[in-house]
Amino acid sequence: MNATILNGALPGDSFVDAVGTALQEALRAAGWTVAPWTLRDAKSAYCLGCFECWTKTPGQCRIADAGRDVAASVIGSDLAIYLTPITFGGYSSELKKVVDRIICLISPFFTHINGEVHHRARYDRYPVLLGVGVLPAPHPAQEQIFHTLIGRNAINMHVPAHHSAVVYRDQDPATAATALRNTRHLTERVSA
Amino acid sequence: MTTPKTALLIIGSAKPAGQSTSEALGNYLAQRLQERGIVMTTQHVARALRTEERAAALLAAADAADIVLLAFPLYVDGLPYLATQALERIAAHRLSQPAPRPAAFLAIANCGFPEAAHNATALAICREFADAAGFAWAGGLALGEGGAIGGRPLAVVGGMAHNVVAALDLVAAALAEGKPAPTEAITRMARPFIPARAYMLMGNLGWLSQARRNRVFTRLGARPFRPAARERQP
Repeated sequence: MNATILNGALPGDSFVDAVGTALQEALRAAGWTVAPWTLRDAKSAYCLGCFECWTKTPGQCRIADAGRDVAASVIGSDLAIYLTPITFGGYSSELKKVVDRIICLISPFFTHINGEVHHRARYDRYPVLLGVGVLPAPHPAQEQIFHTLIGRNAINMHVPAHHSAVVYRDQDPATAATALRNTRHLTERVSA
Repeated sequence: MTTPKTALLIIGSAKPAGQSTSEALGNYLAQRLQERGIVMTTQHVARALRTEERAAALLAAADAADIVLLAFPLYVDGLPYLATQALERIAAHRLSQPAPRPAAFLAIANCGFPEAAHNATALAICREFADAAGFAWAGGLALGEGGAIGGRPLAVVGGMAHNVVAALDLVAAALAEGKPAPTEAITRMARPFIPARAYMLMGNLGWLSQARRNRVFTRLGARPFRPAARERQP
């Protein structure tokens, strides 16, 4: 089994990095192969909104950089983890930069899912999605937005299952491993 | 919210100036506000965040505004990277001030799906930003079928955009009086231009047409990253 961890910590955020390390260690201890991405260090352009990854170079962004490598890593994984400081309920800019770049993993064509229009899948198989958000303290409104966002991304990315969890900065960073344990078992069932 | 005199329009699209639906929507509202005597400034995030000097100018423009407007396209259920970074910077800047200027914040989101409701999560993020940065929330407008505008000025789009025009006229009138966007404006903005099935058909034909033009018609379903062994067997 293999996992891709997209760490969207902003510069100087050692707590989010520590959560990322705890996730890596827990996965490796369970025998998983892990591709960890510290996104602030990755050389990645932002999405230009040109849609050429759909209509000119189908399936991949025309910009050959870390953003393209992240897309390949995500679709090649059994589990994709979005790790981020929760930013007004959403992702940090560092995580959003690469999440915007992975629309190449879906098709431009429209379809209906649960009565709503979405894009069709490009691949037969997508990773399970786990969102781990970090907040200074409980914030019900932002937590609800974060859970909803992961759920909406899960629909749009055609993932077979998803889960999201929030870790507070006064907690042990290894708390995230609890959410991971359930998701790991889920991923193993989905991938079996 | 007191009667505003100045406003800042932030274009949250990564597209070049003059090409985005976000700019078309934002410019129309800016023009209506200008007609009501409000002094407008416009900043494009794609330009403003390119250097620290320009980013400082964006923050200074936000400091000088009684109303901050953000018009952005929906990217993967949220704000695009550049718009997200702009909000991070503005919030951090305002939180660093002992008494940031009282101002209102209004967001306009547009997406390429028929349902405007796809924008709800992004607008919820905008509202949380407003709260965190000390802005008065003046409302969130959601537009579906953004591809039908396709970056054209609303005057060029014509009658098809009558609900959008009416919604933005209502918003301009309310903002100029120091009030938030009225419910009627939010409702009219969310009304589809054409039935969803027609929009889907036109959209799908549009992708095929672009692919044909780019000589990749037969490769539209390419899977460049997935080794064949990982695919499910039929």
